[in-house]
Amino acid sequence: MGEIKKLKTNQRMGELLQEYYLRGFQEETNCWITSGGPVELLYAMGIYPVYPENHGALMGAAKVAPKYAEVAENEGFSQDLCSYARSDIGSAIAGDSPVGGLPKPNFLFSCNNICNTVVKWYQVLSRMFKVPHFLLDTPFVRKELKESHIDYVESQLYDLIEFLEKITGNEFDESRFSRILMSSIEGINAYREVLQMGRHKPSPLTCFDGFINMAPIVCLRGTEAPIGFYKEMRKELEERVKNGVGAVDDEEIRLLWDNIPIWYRLRGLSEFFSDHNACLVADTYTNAWTDFGELSSSDPIRGIAEAYAPIYLNIGLERMAEIVNRLIDTYGVDGVVIHSNRSCKPYSFGQYEIQKMIDIPSVVIEADMTDSRVFSEAQVQTRLEAFMEMLRS
Amino acid sequence: MAKREEIGYFCSFTPKELIKSAGFLPVRVLADERPISLANAHIQSYCCSQVKGPLEKMLTGDLNLKGAVFTRSCDSLMRLTDIWDLNSKMEVYDLEFPTNINERSRNYFVEELYRFKEWLEKLSGREISFEDLKGSIDLYEELEKILYDVYDIKPDYELTLRAETRDVEEVIREGKSRLKQLKKANTQNSKAKVLVTGSVCPFLEVYKLIESVGFSIVDDLCTGTRFFKSDVEKREIKDMEDAMGFLADKYFLKAPCPTKNYEGDRRFKYLLDRAQKVDGVVFILLKFCEPHLFDYAQLKKELGSRGKRTLLLELEFPIASLEQLRTRLEAFYEMAVS
Repeated sequence: MGEIKKLKTNQRMGELLQEYYLRGFQEETNCWITSGGPVELLYAMGIYPVYPENHGALMGAAKVAPKYAEVAENEGFSQDLCSYARSDIGSAIAGDSPVGGLPKPNFLFSCNNICNTVVKWYQVLSRMFKVPHFLLDTPFVRKELKESHIDYVESQLYDLIEFLEKITGNEFDESRFSRILMSSIEGINAYREVLQMGRHKPSPLTCFDGFINMAPIVCLRGTEAPIGFYKEMRKELEERVKNGVGAVDDEEIRLLWDNIPIWYRLRGLSEFFSDHNACLVADTYTNAWTDFGELSSSDPIRGIAEAYAPIYLNIGLERMAEIVNRLIDTYGVDGVVIHSNRSCKPYSFGQYEIQKMIDIPSVVIEADMTDSRVFSEAQVQTRLEAFMEMLRS
Repeated sequence: MAKREEIGYFCSFTPKELIKSAGFLPVRVLADERPISLANAHIQSYCCSQVKGPLEKMLTGDLNLKGAVFTRSCDSLMRLTDIWDLNSKMEVYDLEFPTNINERSRNYFVEELYRFKEWLEKLSGREISFEDLKGSIDLYEELEKILYDVYDIKPDYELTLRAETRDVEEVIREGKSRLKQLKKANTQNSKAKVLVTGSVCPFLEVYKLIESVGFSIVDDLCTGTRFFKSDVEKREIKDMEDAMGFLADKYFLKAPCPTKNYEGDRRFKYLLDRAQKVDGVVFILLKFCEPHLFDYAQLKKELGSRGKRTLLLELEFPIASLEQLRTRLEAFYEMAVS
């Protein structure tokens, strides 16, 4: 069986994440935020951001998501709802989780550039905790990004600043915000460089390394932490390249992963691909976080509006397929593994159409990002084995 | 007279007034009796029937529409837009109805309405005049008033279904005669009242079933009251700008829907208010419908604390077993009246 080569940075990652979660209980003001929200504004106002989605992923990876999801289900939340939402709501009701639950929010901030699920999820939280909820409403950017859509998002960002000033009693400091935004972009660039190491043949990393180490770019974007962390990670990967070490022994097949990871099967899948000398060299999920760094306006607020509206999950299928094709080219990929994720409709619906728009073979596996109760090991295994065989022939 | 060209729509937040003013017949596309088969190759099984049903209809080639208008009411409808576009020859339009309903989004929505008007004009090859739009707004106002009066006496889902799919003038005539009959029949009843709330259900047998077990219906469905009810005040409309502003107000003040984000949790309060004078609440929800299913848990709890019994009927279309629904409704009726 292929050996899984762990990166040394994984350990540093664990420490960073632990510090991050611990700090949550010490900070005076915290806000629960969705993964696609412009967190830079919170950091600029000295507000500590809590990420229920990251917490959901963490519960998934720790294989306890179904336990907490059941708590929510017993309260009437349908098993067909997003499993991040269910396990997080369950954890809030139960008051614990592998990291001791999340600190109670002072307020909530959602942005529907990743899904409209978060709007409903945060409405539920707002009623549960009796705290205000600000929704940054980003129109669906099906084709081109329209000026009126940027105007709409930009005007809401000013409303958000006012809202944050009221809550904290502090004035918004534009120069502090600009500094944080610069750090954010620097962090994103450092992260992009890490992901792009996957272009090497053999690739020094798999998308599983990307998944395990993505928390800093999600939760700490705008602070110094991701910049140093990803530089360190890149160094380690460069070392592998220099020594001709691939993440997978005798890399023969190069693959692209689509959708959120199957958190409770990271290890199993990682071993499966390694055994088949196949390396998942890139993925659409971690890559989506590099979108936030594309600031085209000199005005930072407008720049944020332009960058946060047309991210991967908020664009039309043809544009998504273009991005997939670009990733296929950039990373020299032979096939695509498509995770049809019951929990994420905007990511999953349309995958069958994208399949037709990409130039290389692909396979769809049915699963859920954290709810292992709907995962069929045998079915996934059979499909993937057939796919490996097909790619080899 | 040549048959008018049809524009399909899915969500009750689509401004039909504009579609009609461009000379098209607005036709709401809903699921029907056909089982889902072709659609399975285009969308996953964990998708609701208001997306799968219309997609199946389109793929079988039975929809003769000039165009189709989508709103991003939920993630599933958002993705259906492109799936539809890639698999049909229709003109496809995405009207970006805001999720936030507030003063800020109103200005944005007015701009979206102008953009929609332009698209319709391009499609029809003629300009929409103020008179066209004013005439259309007036007609819908008349229709909605009739529907409102009808529902005040007794919900008529068949009439609403016609209002969603037929020519508005024709439905006004029918509505008037139905209203007359209803008033004559003087349906004062002492039956147990049930609030029926949820998304879409074009299957009339479900309502007959609810009534047949002994209930009289108070409605909160998207294929019922939410299709026609708005709190907008009737006002004199002067010009095109005024008309567009009126439409924005009308749809912003439409009976609230869980797909939107209202100030002061308007949807939640609206529903609790509607439930005040009923003996029970039946949730008719589509399986996999996130906007409704998220609210359901807290609504059920809140209603329970106010002494209201609730029943959840999760449906997929076509409905597999009406008998099973009957059994559950009968048991619920026994509990509600006891």
